[in-house]
Amino acid sequence: MRVSTRAGLVALLLLWSLGPMLWQLYTSMRTPEALLAGAGGLASGWTLANYGAVLGGDPPFWRYLLNSTVVGALSTLLTLALAIPCAYALSRRGGLLRLLVGGGLLAAAVFPYVLLFLALLQVARQLGLANNLLALCLPYAGLQLPLAVLLLQAAFAELPPELEESAVLEGFSLWQRLRWILLPLMGPAVVSTGLLVFLFSWNEFPIALTWISRSELLTLAPAMARIAGSSVYTVPYGAFAAATVLGSVPLLALLLLFQRQIVAGLTQGAIKG
Amino acid sequence: MTNTSDPAKATATATASEHSTATSLRLEGLCRRIGGRAILDGINLEVAAGECLALLGPSGCGKSTVLRVIAGLDPCDGGRILLDGRDISEQKPARRRVAMVFQSYALYPHLSVERNLSLGMELRGVGPEQRERELVAVLELLQLSALRRRRPAQLSGGQRQRVALARALLRKPRLMLLDEPMSNLDAQLREELRPQLRAILRGGRAPAIYVTHDQQEAMGIADRIAVLQEGRLQQCGTPQELYHQPANLFVAGFIGRPQINLLPQGDGTVVGIRPEHLRAVGEGGLAVQVLSREWHGASQLLLLESAQGPLRWTCDGNQTLGDDLRLGWERRHEHRFRQAGGERC
Repeated sequence: MRVSTRAGLVALLLLWSLGPMLWQLYTSMRTPEALLAGAGGLASGWTLANYGAVLGGDPPFWRYLLNSTVVGALSTLLTLALAIPCAYALSRRGGLLRLLVGGGLLAAAVFPYVLLFLALLQVARQLGLANNLLALCLPYAGLQLPLAVLLLQAAFAELPPELEESAVLEGFSLWQRLRWILLPLMGPAVVSTGLLVFLFSWNEFPIALTWISRSELLTLAPAMARIAGSSVYTVPYGAFAAATVLGSVPLLALLLLFQRQIVAGLTQGAIKG
Repeated sequence: MTNTSDPAKATATATASEHSTATSLRLEGLCRRIGGRAILDGINLEVAAGECLALLGPSGCGKSTVLRVIAGLDPCDGGRILLDGRDISEQKPARRRVAMVFQSYALYPHLSVERNLSLGMELRGVGPEQRERELVAVLELLQLSALRRRRPAQLSGGQRQRVALARALLRKPRLMLLDEPMSNLDAQLREELRPQLRAILRGGRAPAIYVTHDQQEAMGIADRIAVLQEGRLQQCGTPQELYHQPANLFVAGFIGRPQINLLPQGDGTVVGIRPEHLRAVGEGGLAVQVLSREWHGASQLLLLESAQGPLRWTCDGNQTLGDDLRLGWERRHEHRFRQAGGERC
């Protein structure tokens, strides 16, 4: 393939994926008048007022970011804390049990969780978990656990068994083997699994919407929906776009930060003798 | 125990023998089954303190399984493993204090050489000064001092093997197990390392079991060799015993290169005669034809055809061969086996 053709294809793909985001960024910095006037004059109509409105709202936007971060971090930690031992145990089992449990996990992982949210709402009511930010971690971790176990189990299975056997003969306890040998080698898998959970929790909408009603406890997704529907007579395109841009910045930062670690972990690649 | 020896002499050999009391290993009817199939079928062996025993056999004969069962990585389905007279077959692997060098070395890839070596000591509760002392001693013993900050990926195969050996020595094992530790190295390096490894294994007072499929290596390193086939012990003895008095057809064919000549007789026996024991004779003997010839310098290997089947003959490299070649051998060099069962007559 010629270099120019390849460059063209890459550019097309980039435009395809980044287009909506760039459009959102553009929208967030236009005045409502400029947006309605169409793509006429790019010389005028630029503003940061949308960001000001979002950041200065009540409660202020950073509150939603904080709520989402707290829920995301706790869900991730809870999921990993439960998934790592499960995945280890599963990877050390052979035969029928592994097949059955693995199949069950797969079924649970692909089940459309939206179908569950009414039932989950009942659970939340019964247990008095409504309007409790930390309680959101329970369904989030529960819903992401199957996928996390499957991913981590594959990572455990890829490690050469002699590494652990060698540690067993050296007298390491199970915890010591996990802490010093297995988990450090699985860094990339743990990080990418954690990121998936965090992303899910960051983007999750129906459960967050139904479990939380107090505005200062909202996470990003329902908060943005509230911004979009804040006026009966107009659609506040600019403010909504500004909110989505602000909401994706921490996520982008997180991905970039850990992407480097993942690459570093992969190039470490000294597992094979 | 009083220790008054001069420190300069002691450092190098200290790690290998310090604290490790002389032990002996005895296997009594060791069995291992997987799904009804016997992988090991009643293995009886004895290894004395400071002795190195080679377990030799074709791939899949169960020799690595012997090590794994002794170490406790695989369960023991029958028989006893006596270390110093005490049965350890039910003990947890960590409690057996047995060290193993794996074929792949199993170094922790994310840790430097010194961390690979000291982590085990640290987690076993050895204090920092003692750790450093023992680390320095073993690095010196195995000529690894310059490499202590490297990662396993930055080491050559021979260096990795030495790190794995160092880690095993630091365990102060009561028994040393080595599973084909040389098979990832090239032939020249293997020959260079053999005397080194031999000296280190002898230096320790723990018995060592060395698994290999390479008879040269087994003969070069071990005091005694145990030949295993299909999970059964065929013969155990010194290299000389195996070579000169093979207990059965399998051992006769397995030990010795080029392979022994096996000539079936009419009476239900097989005569084995080593290629170097054949002689050209004027009268009588077997009439043979030369099929091909490999010249090795000092010697040459001839592949011959005779009325009793193909023959291998190793003779002087300068020997010229007549057309009418007849071969014989001295009776004392003859091995005789039963055709059925294969045991020695």
